[in-house]
This record gives sequence, structure tokens and C-alpha cells, in this order.
Amino acid sequence: MKHLLSSIATLALTAGLAQGQAANVPDNLDKLSNFQTTGVTEFTFIEQGGDYAEGIKASLDKVTLPDGFKIELYAVVPDARHMAVGPQGIVTFVGTRKDKVWSVTDRNKDRVADEVKDFAPSLQFSIPNGPCFSPDGFLYIAEQNRVLLFPAAEFFYESPDVAAFNLVAKGDLIPEDEESFNHTARVCDIGPDGKIYISLGQPFNVAPKDKLEKYKKWGIGGIIRMNTDGTGREVYTHGVRNSVGQDFHPETGELWWTDNQVDGMGDDIPPGELNRQTEMGQHFGHPWFGGGDVRTNEYKGEEVPVDVVMPAVETIAHAADLGMAFYTGNMFPDHYKNAIFSAQHGSWNRTDPVGARVMVTHIDDEGNATMEPFAEGWLTEDGEYLGRPVDVAQLRDGSILVSDDLAGALYRISYEGN
Amino acid sequence: MRQMMLLALGGVFLAQMSYAQDVTGDPQAGRKLAMQCRTCHGIEGHAKMPIVPHIGGENPAYIEHQLTAFRDGQRVHEMMSVVARSLSDQAIADLAAWYSAQEPVATLGPGQDPANAPEACIACHGADGIAQIEDAPNLAGETVMYIDTQLKAFRTGKRTHEVMSPIAAEMTNDEIRAVAEWYSSVRFEVKPAQ
Repeated sequence: MKHLLSSIATLALTAGLAQGQAANVPDNLDKLSNFQTTGVTEFTFIEQGGDYAEGIKASLDKVTLPDGFKIELYAVVPDARHMAVGPQGIVTFVGTRKDKVWSVTDRNKDRVADEVKDFAPSLQFSIPNGPCFSPDGFLYIAEQNRVLLFPAAEFFYESPDVAAFNLVAKGDLIPEDEESFNHTARVCDIGPDGKIYISLGQPFNVAPKDKLEKYKKWGIGGIIRMNTDGTGREVYTHGVRNSVGQDFHPETGELWWTDNQVDGMGDDIPPGELNRQTEMGQHFGHPWFGGGDVRTNEYKGEEVPVDVVMPAVETIAHAADLGMAFYTGNMFPDHYKNAIFSAQHGSWNRTDPVGARVMVTHIDDEGNATMEPFAEGWLTEDGEYLGRPVDVAQLRDGSILVSDDLAGALYRISYEGN
Repeated sequence: MRQMMLLALGGVFLAQMSYAQDVTGDPQAGRKLAMQCRTCHGIEGHAKMPIVPHIGGENPAYIEHQLTAFRDGQRVHEMMSVVARSLSDQAIADLAAWYSAQEPVATLGPGQDPANAPEACIACHGADGIAQIEDAPNLAGETVMYIDTQLKAFRTGKRTHEVMSPIAAEMTNDEIRAVAEWYSSVRFEVKPAQ
């Protein structure tokens, strides 16, 4: 009887939660129904101390930064990819290329996370790489072929059975037969226009001709945007190979994004890209260009049928520029205001590996952008990776987090030069 | 289903017999070549990223078939097609010799009862995901999404295999996911070669 009572109480509580969580969700969006869940109602917690954490800290001793900055282990987070910091600063959500999303909480505010557990364990995720927040606290998670939204996630994440709604239902983001693994790690962001922007990498090294018409229509090899009630989907960006990092300039509102360029053309070409987009519909060159103004072998000599916008910054070939964020905090020295921090994941097929570092890009008054290394040391002299940075996000105190999917960790970079 | 499996298996053995081994692999030469594989697959074949399979302790014939298929274009992947393009038969044999020299160790995860292993898979892939025949990969400890992606590739025809294509053709998304969850839950380690 006692059992029965407590289950009824739980049921009532859960029902109340679910109702609360549904507030303000656009009417036309479907709530994910129960039969699509895993039935798992217990969290998986990740141990934060111990030998594993000590090993990561030892690697961080090798990382160098400009004077006055320091880097510390913030959290052990397996397979950590892109991050979304809650607008209230309570929790950071971290995506993976597996089937989990992690919630990372610093309860005692000592700037080290004390709790890492899986988010919404009752839901079955597929490559939930890209979490992003709207300013009003809706969490969006862009998966391989679905986009979910979670109202007030920062408050409801403590329940394993959190209400989820389909912004884009499974199978509607891209045609199912275009699903791949490597280039289906999505990122998303809410723009100054209130729309959600979602990157859609194309699944090839160089997109073949017979796919181009289909991809153009869907925005595969592009960035799409839509209203946050799921309506008004349109292709915002064309000619992308595989973008896994984007952010909006805090003053101009322009979308900047990174792109990973063509492999197999040599160690030093083509360059990677940091792009600046000034209006909808611009084309950035793939598949006619392999990166910068380097033509792909597959389309060599063919007339380029579109006007192509060249990158704002050409980055070192194969370094794999991924996540990025504009800096708007008050902690770092003034010249970092509105600079871009971005992560280079590191090369996989270059004779001498490059990357595995955090870069900073300064943009001058005329809009010229220059990128330089900011934090490096994860790549050893004999070419082994101690870590591979993926994304950068800013905490409310103005420090930045860096995720690493090799070590499975978040790092916090702070400034104490004052 | 069972009959189809047996028929299909017959085909595998025939196919293997007709696959000529012209070159002998040298594991030490393979270890050197594996420096270009280690960022993703690990030097001993324990994967460093979710998108790539563990290949340490794989059957040499399976590695050779896949690398040859990537090189010759029967199997396409945005990274592996680039990597394999320049590999000679000797290099492929050496890599297969190195990675197959490692010892795969699979342990069923907590709560996994072998009786619940996916019936259609165990004849070739084992209940614990260690291959029972030459031309099958180990599946133990691969990520859910890797197995999911491969089964769907067989289903759509992006990847073809005389046994796997007809099996995958009959599978629903939920069945694929369940198989992937089973093998992904197996703990997998690579015991380095001496």
C-alpha cells in the first residue's frame, strides 16, 4: 500500500511537472509521446575526482596561454562536444556524437562542476551533438535527423522524465537515406531575429554532382533557419562542406561560422575556413572550391555557376576548425571584447599533425579578421593528442569553457592578470 | 530466417575460398603504417572517436576486404576513401597483420544475459560481439550510432554484402537500434600484442 501511495504521488508530481514544462510551447508542436522513450528513469552519474581527473590535469600542465590566463579542469564529461550554457547560469548542457546529452552543474559556484549526469535519460538520442538555448530558456538539441525542444530545461533537468517537443520530427531534418555518421554532427544557435539556425553538413568528402539539386533544396551542405514553432524553414547558407561551429556577432548580428574543408588534396591545401555571412542565400563555394580559392579536382576547370563568398580567415589546412563563440564577457582584457574564440580539433590525415588548440580571432574596425593561437599544448612533439578541443562557450562570469571529446572533459579558462 | 542465414553463410565460405591471399602481411611494418590510423582508430585499434570502429583484434581477412573495398570504391566514406586510396596490397596486408595481432577482449555488460542476444546476428558476430567467422567484424563495444549507421547503410544499399544486405533489408529502425544497443553495451578492450 505504501508503495502504491508513493507511486501515485510520483505520478502526480510527474504529471504536474509535465504540465508546467508545456507552458509557452507553440501549440502546433507535438509532445514526444511515451512509447518513444527508453523506459530508463535513473540517471547515470560521472565520477568527477580520482585518477582519471588527475590524468587530465597532468595534460593541462602542458597547455600554454597568454600571460594572466589559466586553464583548469572544470568537469569530466565523456565524449564532450558542443555546449550550451543556461541563461540562468545554473547548468551547462553538453552534446555527444553518441547517444547521450550531459548536464553539468556547479552547485557551490567554486567554478568547478560538482555534478555531471545524463540529461533526459528516458529519451533515445541519436548523435545529439548540438545543444543551444534561446534567451527565454528553451533548450534545443539538434541531432542527426531531429531537433527537440525542452521548455525551461534549466529547471526541469533534475527530473529524468523531462517533457520534450518535436521542433523537427525524426526523419524530417534530412531525407533518411542521406544520414551518415561523420558529417551529421549538428550545431544550432538562436539568431538575433529569434530564428533557430542549424548546420547541415553534407555526407561526402566532395559532394557529387548528382546530389547537388537535392542538397540545395534541403540545405544539406548548408545552414538552414526556421521559426521556433518549426514553421518557415528556409536555406540560409549554401556551399558549405561541413560546418560544426557558428555564432552571431554581438553588434552586427551577422552569422560567422567555421567550415571543414576537403581532404586528400595534400598536406597544405586546401585551407580551412572561418566565414562571415552578411545576408541570406550567400554561397561559400563547395563543391567547386575545396577551401578558400582552391578548386576541387572533381570540379576542376568547370565554370562555377554561383557567386562565391570567400572566407574571412583562411586557416591552416586540415586543422579542423569546429566550435566558436564571440566573447562578450567582462573578465578578459578589453581587446578580447567581441573577439572570436574557436577550437581546432586537430588533423587526422596530415603528415605532421596540426591543431588541437584554442584560437582567437580579432576583427578590426574595417572588418578584417586575423586568427592566432590562444591555448595550445594538447599535441605532443611526437604527434600524439593529449586532448582535442571541440567547442568554446562563455560562462556568466566571463570565463570560457572549452570542451574536449578525446579526453572527455570541459576546461575553464579564466583571467587573473588584474 | 534460419534457413536464409544458413544459405547465406554457405555463400560466405565459398567467397572466402575464392579470395586469393597473394601477399603476406608483416605486423611490424603494419605498426609503422598505423601511425596514420591512430588518431581515429588508436595505435592498437581501440577507437578514439565514436564515429570509428574498434579494429584491434579484428580478423585480418575482414580488414583486408574493407580496406580494399574503400580503395577500389565499392565502399565509400568521406575519410576512409581518402586514406585507402594510396594503399598498396602489401600495405593493406601489413595493416591487417598489425591490427589482427592484437587481442580482443569482450565482457558482457551488467544485466546482459546471452540468451537475449540478437538471434539473427550471433552465428557470425557472437553473443558478445566477437566474430565467429573470418569475414565478420567484431561488434563488441562499438557505439550505438556506428552499428546503427552501418546496418542502415546495408539496408539502403550504400554498403553491400551478400549476407548483411538481405538481413538488414528486413530490419525496422527499432530493430536496428535494439541490435546496436545490445552490442554497444558489451565492454570491449584491446589487449596489446606482445
